Amino acid sequence: MTPATSTAPAKPTTKSAATARPGGYAGNLLRVDLTRRTCRAEPWSPETMRELIGGVGLGAMILYRETATRDGKGNVSWDHPDNRLVLATGPLAGLPVWGTGGLTVCTIGAGTNGPTSTQANGFFGTNLKYCGYDAIIVQGQSKDWLYLYINDDVVELRDARSLVGLDTWETQGALYKETGLAGHQLSVYSIGPAGENLVRFAAIQGDYGHVASKNGCGAVMGKKRLKAVAIVKGTKSLRAADPRGVVQAADEIAHDLRTDASARSLYEYGTLPGVVNLSKMGALPIKNYTTNLTSNVAGADLSVWEAPKLRENFDHRGHQCNACGMHHCHMSVIRHGDQKGKIVDEPEYEGWSGCGWAIGAADRDSVAWLNTECDRACVDVNEWGWLCGWVMECQEKGYITREQLGFELKWGDVKGAHRLLQMVSRREGFGNVLAEGVKRAAEKLGGPAKECAIYIEKGATPRGHDHRSRWEEMLDTCTSSTATMETGNPVHPTEIGQPARINPFDGEQVAKYVAGLRGRRSFEDSLGICIFTSRTRLEHVCRALSAATGWAFTVDEALRFGKRTAVINRATALRCGHTGAMEYPSTRYGSTPVDGPAKGQAIRAQWEKMLDTWYSEVGFDRKTGKPLPKTLKDLGLDWLSKSLWGNKA
Amino acid sequence: MSVLKLHPEKCTGCLRCELACSYMQTGEYQPAKSVIRVSPFEGHTSYAPYTCPQCAEGWCMTACPVGAITINAVGAKDVLDDKCVGCKLCTIACPYGTMFYDPATRKAFKCNLCGGAPACAEACPTAAITYEDVATADWLGDFAVERTARVLAEAR
Amino acid sequence: MAARHLVIGGGTAGMNAIRTIREEESERSSITLVSAERPYSRMVLPYYLDRSIAESHVFTATGKVLADWGVTAHLGKRVTALDTSASACTLDDGTTIPYDDCLIATGSSAVRAPVPGADGRGVHSFWTLDEARGVIAQIQPGSHVVMVGAGFIAFTILNSILSLGAKLTIVEIAPRILPRMIDDTGAALVQAWLKEHGVAVRTGAKVARIEDVKGRRRLKFAAGGDLVCDVVIMATGIKTNLEWLKGSPVKVNQGIVVDEYLRSSVPNVYAAGDVAEGRDLISQKAAVHAIEPTAQEHGRIVGANMAGKNVRYRGSLIINIVEVCHLDVASFGAWDDTGAEAASSVKADRPAYRKLLWRGDRLTGAIILGRSSDIWTVNDVGMLKGLVQSGVSLGRWKAYLKKNPFDVKPAFIAAKTTSTLLPETVLGRPSKAPGETPVAV
Repeated sequence: MTPATSTAPAKPTTKSAATARPGGYAGNLLRVDLTRRTCRAEPWSPETMRELIGGVGLGAMILYRETATRDGKGNVSWDHPDNRLVLATGPLAGLPVWGTGGLTVCTIGAGTNGPTSTQANGFFGTNLKYCGYDAIIVQGQSKDWLYLYINDDVVELRDARSLVGLDTWETQGALYKETGLAGHQLSVYSIGPAGENLVRFAAIQGDYGHVASKNGCGAVMGKKRLKAVAIVKGTKSLRAADPRGVVQAADEIAHDLRTDASARSLYEYGTLPGVVNLSKMGALPIKNYTTNLTSNVAGADLSVWEAPKLRENFDHRGHQCNACGMHHCHMSVIRHGDQKGKIVDEPEYEGWSGCGWAIGAADRDSVAWLNTECDRACVDVNEWGWLCGWVMECQEKGYITREQLGFELKWGDVKGAHRLLQMVSRREGFGNVLAEGVKRAAEKLGGPAKECAIYIEKGATPRGHDHRSRWEEMLDTCTSSTATMETGNPVHPTEIGQPARINPFDGEQVAKYVAGLRGRRSFEDSLGICIFTSRTRLEHVCRALSAATGWAFTVDEALRFGKRTAVINRATALRCGHTGAMEYPSTRYGSTPVDGPAKGQAIRAQWEKMLDTWYSEVGFDRKTGKPLPKTLKDLGLDWLSKSLWGNKA
Repeated sequence: MSVLKLHPEKCTGCLRCELACSYMQTGEYQPAKSVIRVSPFEGHTSYAPYTCPQCAEGWCMTACPVGAITINAVGAKDVLDDKCVGCKLCTIACPYGTMFYDPATRKAFKCNLCGGAPACAEACPTAAITYEDVATADWLGDFAVERTARVLAEAR
Repeated sequence: MAARHLVIGGGTAGMNAIRTIREEESERSSITLVSAERPYSRMVLPYYLDRSIAESHVFTATGKVLADWGVTAHLGKRVTALDTSASACTLDDGTTIPYDDCLIATGSSAVRAPVPGADGRGVHSFWTLDEARGVIAQIQPGSHVVMVGAGFIAFTILNSILSLGAKLTIVEIAPRILPRMIDDTGAALVQAWLKEHGVAVRTGAKVARIEDVKGRRRLKFAAGGDLVCDVVIMATGIKTNLEWLKGSPVKVNQGIVVDEYLRSSVPNVYAAGDVAEGRDLISQKAAVHAIEPTAQEHGRIVGANMAGKNVRYRGSLIINIVEVCHLDVASFGAWDDTGAEAASSVKADRPAYRKLLWRGDRLTGAIILGRSSDIWTVNDVGMLKGLVQSGVSLGRWKAYLKKNPFDVKPAFIAAKTTSTLLPETVLGRPSKAPGETPVAV
């Protein structure tokens, strides 16, 4: 098997090829120019499909090819009209493999002002593909608010003035009314007030509860004045090369998810078990990393946070993504308290942490409500947790005064947090400072306030754990080119030659492990499948892809493909001005836990060594951050070598 | 005879039944050609599959002017493609809204219980659709009443 | 002696009656069929016209089938007189057929507008199989066809004419198209849709005469503006075939007056289909529907009653559906009831229109217009029919549907319409498959 290689940065839109379109693909990319107000379908070739697959594979290449400054020396910034907002799905989307409604957003994000790869599920991928498109590439900027309407061959930029100011759920409701459609017949991904107001960590939310949250992709959409993308479930067919094989692979994946010890709790309860499980490792972030003891949160009783109790506390109803058999996503009706009767999206683990533990709140009903409010105002719930927790800590310590903020915000005050959320998403008062995200707000305040803030020097913030006891992810997040984890832990590390378990506090082992796993995440995020339903053997995922497309895709090719994608994102990040100096956790993020299971484990002491190891393992130059020519050659990226290293290569 | 029994409280709206059905019907994945359709209730919080109840009258069958709808071996009303001319009379005669028409083939189509091995029941990950030897019934009415109360209250 | 049944007319009503007699009778009776034409289905003639089916496909009962059913058939014959006192009829060849009971199901025929030249060469009706044959022979790709009349019948063959590659102009004397099927708003949408699809429509146009011009047809209009074309199709209306019944004691109003068992004023004479003034399901008043589904229900009920059952007729629902260049246009029940409470909605971005009519909290009529490929269109057509047919009380769903006429499904399901509908059958028992014989029962 010869992996596809290319000698030039392949255009996703190369000439229509003689070979037949692989199964699983709709066959067209939809290019939307908001400046010119044009929408046109661009067919893409089978060769390019094989090379870029979809999702982040496609998005990374589009960013690399299309977001350089006109002089070719630098990269356009996130708010430039030439920035691209790629909303990509993948070849598995719309097929009966569990959790395949996938959306990957790739753009130069407002957080790091560098590349982004962030995912959401729901029905974006299915509806878009039934309309005949594999991805949407948005460019330009509109003067007036628009939304993109797609119904098979009817693709229109429509007036969105009446939607401005609406939150994401209201936006979807308004578009249901306008179109006369209901349920999954219309998939809507939109920004809320936060995106409209260019909040640096604004997100894109769709289909009630699915959020592509990272790197301020919502701000990019807001800058382009694109309020929403509304996709009618089209009427075009998707073919699979081997339909029976797709179902067989889906069954194997399902079986694995249902029975494998490491996936089973996810199958039963989604990410809910995370709260209790992570607290046992010291990875549940509590009160802005000031403690790792749940008992330090007022009113916290960890026994009611066990997954079954967490779910049963609500009138819960399955709300799965395309073809998914997990008992993961749910809608919940709140049964008690001030918000009784309200419909919310059952929070993911990260919602419980960002709207709960990180801000010292442990009342399940109000945390669930605040989490949905975050989705509706539409911000990244992780950064929200770090921001709100930071403000709370700063108020407690007097770094942010009552006068500055306009009110008093204490640990666990969910109503106050909600008030803050509204201020931030509308940039009101001090909210305008906070809307710049944790890093910029902390730097603006400086002094001891800055020392308490959780961020990565690139401008991003971590996902919703305490990474001081999850070193792999801290290293991964800091070295990543896409503003969030780029690798992540798979369930079967041995399948790709990594040890089944490592010493989590041995920097050397951690760095080798993170480097060794590289590639898998980018591959998965190119398929249009959910991060959770791909928590199976990579072999099964490859089998599903092969059955869908007709390719004989191997695990080796998958990893190589993923590494190639990550390298292309790195090249764009370098062009965006990202340097090795930014690959550091902030003071608090990289601090040492003072209590709890990981007490005294000091990552910062090992950080330089970890970076050294990681760089040498992945084959990047420690000084410049560039992938070494040999690495590029091995990945079939000679063309990139030339552009990164010039004639020295 | 066995019929498709629907258990709406188990449905999560994943639409896998639609995919399986469209594959059985057309060989491709296209829910627009599925004869089982998942409907939302209470906005977006609840879903239920809906399909032909294989009613006693068989309004589609008795309306067909060319006898293109028959009863197959497992008791399901079934369209004979070579006889159907595509006049759509069945789509309007069926009071359940479960007769479909394919503009591409110009034929009517409907649930034929896959000849005794319904793909939707097989595909449903939560057993919200089962194939059982019971009398056909209104499986969704009570569920819908409960799960639409809020929507109705808002519509006032 | 076995009962002797006479069925006059081999259309939908007659053939359904025959089949139902055979299904329901407890001992084998004798059945005689008199039909001016070989039994065929009028509904499928448009598909014969567009050549998507062979002529053989249109027949509902072949000679062999009739023999299998034990039917003595007099095909190509007409009844000229009915002697109800003697219980016998006379055919145009002089044959006399005695009966114990008899069904009149002679249907209707096309009428042409009283225009000079309307009976000339190149001017056709499209009603019977013979007429269909005549039209088919005339239309070639590029032909210019003028359809006089813009009613339901005209619209059923519109797609066929276009698919033959002909150019089509529709001429209607009324100020709008489809006057007996949809309201003004719907008609305007359909007219715009037709224009978009290259069909010219002239409304409020009275044809003064039709002339032969060098082998082509010229239509002269009262208000001027001639049209020259190759083929004229007159779809200007139909009338019931009842002249032959004059002088008999069978009481005729708009059609033959029937009781709730579809018996005429003469107890052993039944009527069904276009000639019968049956009952409208919604108004519960006598009405001549002259549509296929009503003929089918009539035929089956009469068949059961001739076989000795006592099946009451609860009335039929008017249902019409026609596809116009992939746009579905449908109406049901009392869609034109001016006394009803109505709510309607048009979608600005696509041809989509709904009108729902209410009496109290029950839906009594509906108009639905939408692209065939538009998701939900098909489902909603059926569900709206179900709501009107079942007459379920919609309670608070009424307000919801008035606001959201495009979201029918939750109302349909939550009103437990399915529960009401499931026990409903026309004959009081499950229907049987048509089997080898394509007359459905």
